[in-house]
Amino acid sequence: MNVPLVIVSAGLILFLSGCAGGQKMYYWGDYSDTLYKYKKNPSEQSLLDHRQSLERILEESAKNNLRVPPGVYAELGYIYFRQNKKDLAIQNFQREKALYPEATLLMDRLEKAAVLADKPKDDRGRTKEPPPPDKTDRHAEGSPPAAGPGGDKKVAP
Amino acid sequence: MKTKLSARRNLHKALLLFIMLICINLSACGPKMITKGDKYPLLYEEQPVSILILPPINESTAAEAKDYYATTIQEPLSFWGYYVFPYEITTEILKMEGIYDTELLKSLPLQKFREYFGADAVLFTTIKKWDLSYLVIASNLTVSVDCELKSTQSNATLWKYNGTVTVDLSGGNTGGGLVGLVVKTVVTAVSSAMADYVPHARTANYRALQSLPYGKYHALYGKDRTQQFMDQPPLSDR
Repeated sequence: MNVPLVIVSAGLILFLSGCAGGQKMYYWGDYSDTLYKYKKNPSEQSLLDHRQSLERILEESAKNNLRVPPGVYAELGYIYFRQNKKDLAIQNFQREKALYPEATLLMDRLEKAAVLADKPKDDRGRTKEPPPPDKTDRHAEGSPPAAGPGGDKKVAP
Repeated sequence: MKTKLSARRNLHKALLLFIMLICINLSACGPKMITKGDKYPLLYEEQPVSILILPPINESTAAEAKDYYATTIQEPLSFWGYYVFPYEITTEILKMEGIYDTELLKSLPLQKFREYFGADAVLFTTIKKWDLSYLVIASNLTVSVDCELKSTQSNATLWKYNGTVTVDLSGGNTGGGLVGLVVKTVVTAVSSAMADYVPHARTANYRALQSLPYGKYHALYGKDRTQQFMDQPPLSDR
């Protein structure tokens, strides 16, 4: 009697289950939320919150056997880069590249820039060279373009 | 007796005709359905893998919309299976290179983005609306975004769609009469003050992306040519 209703609800169920299928691809956690809060109110605290949300993505992805979303390693590396934690930065850039070959060109540039920005600014305990000129440091940070034509090969899709 | 029966039959016929007409009318005037393959053949041809999101073009009246909206697009785009370059890094680099005004890029060759970042395509987003409209007894929040994916190889537009969300902020019915009206106005004012655009911007993104063919990291990559969606021209073309 209620054949149309049955058909419609069956269709609806199929439709809904079809939609839900693709969503478990990545775990992004609070990413966009903490990034938004950082943009709205940039401070050390909001940056720390955002970094922790990036780290949580790595943890949860590992726990649930998911691929780490594109850009997460890179962004984490970039935060370390700006805090002059060179080794951590490079490590994360390399992970991004290993997971996503599409990122190779950019990650190589960033890595090179990290290597060039040699003098850590906030390595409190150790002797640091008196005036690590802030300007040149900034420059090295911001302009990874220094990379030569060596890194120019594009990875085929 | 007979006349009664035939009258009823006629009524049925009329009803049937009426329903049929409505159906035809709906299919004619309503939004057309189209397949992804028919609408975006170039995208299937080029099969871009990596996408660079450019800083949004802000055509709304809200200055802060640009930075806020930018935090919402990377995540959904990744779910469509593309490699999405980390926006926080790429914008920073572009800024250093003196590129902050995406509008100026629209007519320029995009090859540079392939050479420098390794991007197969760039995503232009234009914030058309990011505002509240106040009516006497209600207020609406609208977020509307045009999205356009362009090839860094051919400069061609590979995909283009609009996402719009309108939310009625006036809250539930607070009762009738003049007092009810006053109360409702107050409620409207309060919820407008707290209005947060970002969650709605996220919804707008998902609306826009529904027509985007899937990329390499999605399970349906290359299998969605026949998927249908509502053929809706971006707001700017209307």
